[in-house]
Amino acid sequence: MNNSIKRNIFRSARLTSLYIVVAGIALIIIFPLFFLFSFSFMSDYETYSEWPKPLVPSVKAEFMIDKDSEGYHLYIYNKSKKDFAGFGPISFNNSETDLTKLSKYIKIQANCKISIEDINSYLSIVDRDGEIRFSARKDLFANYILFFQVTRDAGPSVLRSLMVALFTILISLSIGGMAGYAFARYFFKGKNILKIGVLFVRMFPAVSIAIPMVIILAKMGLTDKPLGLSLVYAVGQISMSIWVTASVFMSIPVSLEEAALIFGTNRIGAFWHITLPLALPGLAACAMYAFIGSWNEVISAIVLTQFNPTFPVVVYKALIRSQSQVNLITAGSITQALPAIIFTLIIRKYILQMWGGVKV
Amino acid sequence: MRKAIVSLLLISLMSTGLLLAGGQSGEDSNSPTSLVVSSRLYSRATETKFLYDEIFPEFEAENNAIIKFEILDDEPLLKRARLQSETGRYTTDVVIAGTGWMPQWIENGYVEALPVNEWNDRTFSEAFMSTTSSGGKTYFAPVGADVYLMLANKDAMKYLPAGTDVQNITWEQYINWAVAIAKGEGEGKTAVTGVPMKSLIYMYGGMFLSFGGEFPVINSEGAAKGWKLLTKMKDSYSPTVMTYDNVTIPMKSGETWLTVAHMARMGEAYRSNPTNYIIAPAPKGPAGIGSIAGASGFSLPVGAPNRDLALKFIEFMTRPDIAVRIARGTGGFLPPIDEAIEVLGDSPIDEVIKKGVMVLQNGVLSGVPASEYTSWGAVKQVYDDVFSEMILGTGEFDMAVLDAAQNRLDALKK
Amino acid sequence: MTMKNPQLLLSMETRRKIMPYLLIAPVIIYYFIFWLFPVINSVIGSFKDIEDQWTLSNYIYIFKDPVFYQSVINTGILVVFSVTVEFLLAFGLALLINIKFKGSSVFLFLAMIPMALPAVAVGAIWTSGFATRGWLNSFLMTFGFIDDAGKFLFLAGGKYASMLLIIIVDAWQVIPFVMIILLAGLQGIGNDMKEAGYIFGGSRFQVLRKIIIPMLKPTITTAMILRIISAIQIWLIIVMIFGFNRIPVLLEQVVLNVDELGSEFFLRIGMALSVIVALIVSLVAILYLKVSGSFEKKDGDSE
Repeated sequence: MNNSIKRNIFRSARLTSLYIVVAGIALIIIFPLFFLFSFSFMSDYETYSEWPKPLVPSVKAEFMIDKDSEGYHLYIYNKSKKDFAGFGPISFNNSETDLTKLSKYIKIQANCKISIEDINSYLSIVDRDGEIRFSARKDLFANYILFFQVTRDAGPSVLRSLMVALFTILISLSIGGMAGYAFARYFFKGKNILKIGVLFVRMFPAVSIAIPMVIILAKMGLTDKPLGLSLVYAVGQISMSIWVTASVFMSIPVSLEEAALIFGTNRIGAFWHITLPLALPGLAACAMYAFIGSWNEVISAIVLTQFNPTFPVVVYKALIRSQSQVNLITAGSITQALPAIIFTLIIRKYILQMWGGVKV
Repeated sequence: MRKAIVSLLLISLMSTGLLLAGGQSGEDSNSPTSLVVSSRLYSRATETKFLYDEIFPEFEAENNAIIKFEILDDEPLLKRARLQSETGRYTTDVVIAGTGWMPQWIENGYVEALPVNEWNDRTFSEAFMSTTSSGGKTYFAPVGADVYLMLANKDAMKYLPAGTDVQNITWEQYINWAVAIAKGEGEGKTAVTGVPMKSLIYMYGGMFLSFGGEFPVINSEGAAKGWKLLTKMKDSYSPTVMTYDNVTIPMKSGETWLTVAHMARMGEAYRSNPTNYIIAPAPKGPAGIGSIAGASGFSLPVGAPNRDLALKFIEFMTRPDIAVRIARGTGGFLPPIDEAIEVLGDSPIDEVIKKGVMVLQNGVLSGVPASEYTSWGAVKQVYDDVFSEMILGTGEFDMAVLDAAQNRLDALKK
Repeated sequence: MTMKNPQLLLSMETRRKIMPYLLIAPVIIYYFIFWLFPVINSVIGSFKDIEDQWTLSNYIYIFKDPVFYQSVINTGILVVFSVTVEFLLAFGLALLINIKFKGSSVFLFLAMIPMALPAVAVGAIWTSGFATRGWLNSFLMTFGFIDDAGKFLFLAGGKYASMLLIIIVDAWQVIPFVMIILLAGLQGIGNDMKEAGYIFGGSRFQVLRKIIIPMLKPTITTAMILRIISAIQIWLIIVMIFGFNRIPVLLEQVVLNVDELGSEFFLRIGMALSVIVALIVSLVAILYLKVSGSFEKKDGDSE
């Protein structure tokens, strides 16, 4: 057999198995995320009253109304039971108050908008025929809409959170990066102790020093300000940045910098033109950790802000008592996660930027 | 690369500008005073919205004020109070805290005594006196009371032992019912909050009251009777009951069918589909219906920037007629003001409130004597331990376990 | 850049000596202001009783408490298994992404999402997943793998089954974190190095063992050490799924004492526990660095 054909077969077999592995891993990662996403479009009824739960949100709901001596009764189609099941009030009549309540109830529990007039016309059919079946379009985004209705000043808080994240990145990358470079490139007395020392900051449980730390900030007048929060968040981030950047700088050969020095640029120039571009993936990774860490932090932010909350605090306050409405929680947490996900999407480019070789 | 750095610099410059601008938002001297209310109560979105729409405008118009109502859990609320008192920068005017946390507020001196005697058109329910006041002074004006009620899924009705009236059920009948369900369905379908340090102590503390016990004594004659009955339920709880943080989710999903729980938690499940559930007062014992009653309370934090306005606000919110309106609008909490309850008794209101009022008026009640213990969380843990050891574990009554637990409770006493 | 500044007056040697300290100074100052005081405060607090008298009673209380030993053991098990599993998988993933294949950039993005999720989302995903009537059982039932009677009671398992769940959830969220550090390090290894390896007849595995891993060592150390430190401090996901005190681990006990039990006495126990946790973490970290040979000797310099 021809050698090149053999090689081709071998190559495509390897490629196929690579893609199978990749697809398998991707599935494992996506699987839980899928349900997070799916729940956020379901109604309260779908998420709780069906067993097994639906895996994908439905686009409409089917209802039935009938009538007996007590009054009218409403039913909803339960897919898992393959039958209509009692839904809403035990019974209702055609008074204005009952119908208003009913319409509101359907909107909250089934995410369907059915006007009072519609119900009234359905009821007249029930009076004539004994029962009626009808379907209504489900408002897929109802959870998101409700979430934004109950969050107060979401807009400004997003802006503040972005600022907090930005300051955290700037503080931790500048201070941490400098120290990381020192640890990577120089030998000096006390280096090992200092390097462990900065790590110790991450070792001491943050919960037990949170309040004294917040008090220091408050005494400096930094409560309720984005910068204050960044200063708190940077404490842990700096130490991580130091270690990550140090390890990245260490893996960049000194010889490259020395070559640049020979060609007449000074140490700062060599760092700026040679080392920094090579270290960018590491710096990008640090920036991403700083962003995600500060974007998602709630515990300190609750205490440190009052009139100028960050976005996670706003989300937390909106969802605090909604543990038993997983559809609302998923909608809220997806909204909160979105900026962080977008940021990782952007920064990913820099983490992988060295593909195809570097132009030094 | 250079582009990235330049744009990063630009963004940081811009945001610095924004930061400075944001820091300087001064307030007009003629504008209405803003009253900052931090609350653990009315935290559901619909409840907050109701207050903003129906209750606050009246007060705001009367006093040229703007109310900033902010929801926070008890723990961060207390943390923030500590922060404000240590730095002397006070920003909160009114705090609404839960009964379990009130002792810490009072002991740390974070709140001022309220002039409750001047408000003579209202009588706050006796049940909460021990927690809201200290040394003869009242620090909290109670609102939003809650008691424990029973909730059953209608699917469970077929197992209801003959001759049992759901609306007038005894603990013995309740337990037989739970056992029958487990037998019939092949799995336990009763829920409690099994996660430690939540409300298990209240669920069964109330039961022991109905047997003549005293809260939170764990080895009294009444309590022992209760524990003995509970041992029959070893296999009647849902298998994952130890991970229930609240009973709402398993009751909503049909994972469980029966519970005695906090009225707000079970009210949530009930309201999600009223036709699916039956709601009733908590089961009764020889001494009547026992229930622990909890509440939240308005208080005036030390250093409140708008002290007088804050007092006016608390007075306004606890007026009997306003309290009734709030209770109706927020549905799920009771107004712990005698005059208000009288008004409530006659009106056809929510099923949940009706049953709650019934328990509050006729039950054997106890407040939460958290102030008598060094750590209320540790007291709760004792109940959790006995429950997992004696009920879910061995399923055999053992007085020695109860005595040992009582020793732990005594050790926690101040 | 022209630099006619006083620096020139100093000798090259002195500058080289001072420079690292100058670069590190901001960190020291920063930590001195924002971190050191609270820590000293909390260390002192751990040696005082509620009447503000010096005492060892807080530590004695902890060492007499059986829950403490349980939490040390649980933490140990979690750390050993989660760090090993996470590191191996993350390293594999990093090597995989480092191969240029079509769609690898999309794959990297996917892998990074779990890391970016807020705690509330992670809690919602897994509590609704492991619940008896959760999506995991629903999924299996919908596709006919199980019926109602055969549903899994994920949360009713014993201690070790519960810890396995925690390790899975933690791995799902943390693997990207480790992977990205490794990936950033891998980017620094030029292709020419690897190619040289292949040219001299090395197999894929040999290149990995003889070239990639040694060159990646600083990065591996960093990833491992950061991971070990955070693994010892796992608590939130455990509390979200099981609540406090069910599967006691060290940091969960700290949070419990400091924030949940709500009394001065337990706050001090929490402080003492924090000191113990910090000691344990630093001991483990130093041990790891020693064993992995990451401490630099004087003559080794930086490279």
